Amino acid sequence: MSSNNESIGKTLGVVIGLCLVCAVVVSAASVQLRPLQQANKIEDVQRNILAAAGFNDVTDVKATFGTNIESRVINMKTGDFVDVDPMSFDFEMTKFDDTRSIALSKADDIAGVQRMTNNSPVYLSKDENGNVASVILPIQGYGLWGVMFGFLALDSDGQTINAIQFYKHNETAGLGGEIQNPKWTATWAGKSLPIDIVKGTSGGDVNKVDGLSGATLTSVGVDNTIDFWTGNTGFGPFLAKVRKGALN
Amino acid sequence: MANAKEMKDVLFGPVFANNPIALQVLGVCSALAVTSSLKNALIMSIALTVVTAFSSLFISMIRNHIPSSVRIIVQMTIIASLVIVVDQVLQAVVYTTAKELSTFIGLIITNCIVMGRAEAYAMKSPPTMSFLDGIGNGLGYSVVLLTVGFVRELFGSGTLFGAEILPLVSDGGWYRPMGLLIMPFSSFFLVGIFIWILRTYKKDQVEAKA
Repeated sequence: MSSNNESIGKTLGVVIGLCLVCAVVVSAASVQLRPLQQANKIEDVQRNILAAAGFNDVTDVKATFGTNIESRVINMKTGDFVDVDPMSFDFEMTKFDDTRSIALSKADDIAGVQRMTNNSPVYLSKDENGNVASVILPIQGYGLWGVMFGFLALDSDGQTINAIQFYKHNETAGLGGEIQNPKWTATWAGKSLPIDIVKGTSGGDVNKVDGLSGATLTSVGVDNTIDFWTGNTGFGPFLAKVRKGALN
Repeated sequence: MANAKEMKDVLFGPVFANNPIALQVLGVCSALAVTSSLKNALIMSIALTVVTAFSSLFISMIRNHIPSSVRIIVQMTIIASLVIVVDQVLQAVVYTTAKELSTFIGLIITNCIVMGRAEAYAMKSPPTMSFLDGIGNGLGYSVVLLTVGFVRELFGSGTLFGAEILPLVSDGGWYRPMGLLIMPFSSFFLVGIFIWILRTYKKDQVEAKA
């Protein structure tokens, strides 16, 4: 039965047949499960936006997000709201589309994002009276090993930091990975822009945050990320309008 | 067809008598990496058991047609496809855990237990027995992972499956967690202790002195 297994024809036949079967199985699984995975991904992002807005341990993410968070899209250059569906906005896709994004010069690109989209979503967290409690900005920047993704929640004065939350990064667990440590992120609350991450202790200075020990390069990355996204290439124009009271 | 006793041996033998991690010392890498919490250890155990069982089953089904010159590649293709499917399912069902496990799920492809069982058992045995052998070895792996995960999460973070068991000092309780157990290398000690205890009871597993 297996005497002619070693012939070239049989070998090729087995290998090609196997590859076809495996390819079909893998593709089928991928296509079938994609809607569920997408829903999970969106829910994960929403959960992190909620956490940045101060809603922790949410059970029904979709409902809580729907009632408490308003998603808007802004034009990065002018800082004005534009009429684009925030749900359809895919940062990664937009980033590589020449008509909807621009390349950054080395001098501007301190966070290592390479390209900047023309529009960006922002999330407004509302209190019981419908007033804006926090403005949540999506941020990303290069740390030590890779891009760190997170959200920066600012008070409606556009100046005071309410929270910072990282949801995806490749920093070293236990060192740079501590950017996700609630104890560290809690030290950001009440600080004011511009932020400087310092070694040692920041004392009571509202513009300084303690760096993470053993993670100097990650701390520098976070520092640059904040500077970049709150600066003129980032959400600067939008924040200038927020500071003038555009939201209230 | 194999009798019931043989099937039982194949299924439960790898749990203690011939444990893939403790005796064969295979698949230690992932046992170190994913055991800082019991939930991750459980998901990883299930994923590995499923992959080992089904890869053994499929390889056994076509074992008489696999040319020996490309047999490793054929095994790898089957294993890799199963791992991708398992990864996709995890991403769809338990997204946050899948995110934490991401690279380690992919690394099941290179887990020596899966390859080892395919090459050592499934290539020579009928499908049913190979399937049971895969489940058995998956169980053996799971026993070690869950034991290590239990100790690491309980004493490292004071929780089990994320629920608080030992209230931490930082949360106003009395338990000061052992930071060492959060670090992956602590699993070396725990796996070592597991092997030590096992070999104290099962003397035949002790290697002969050279």
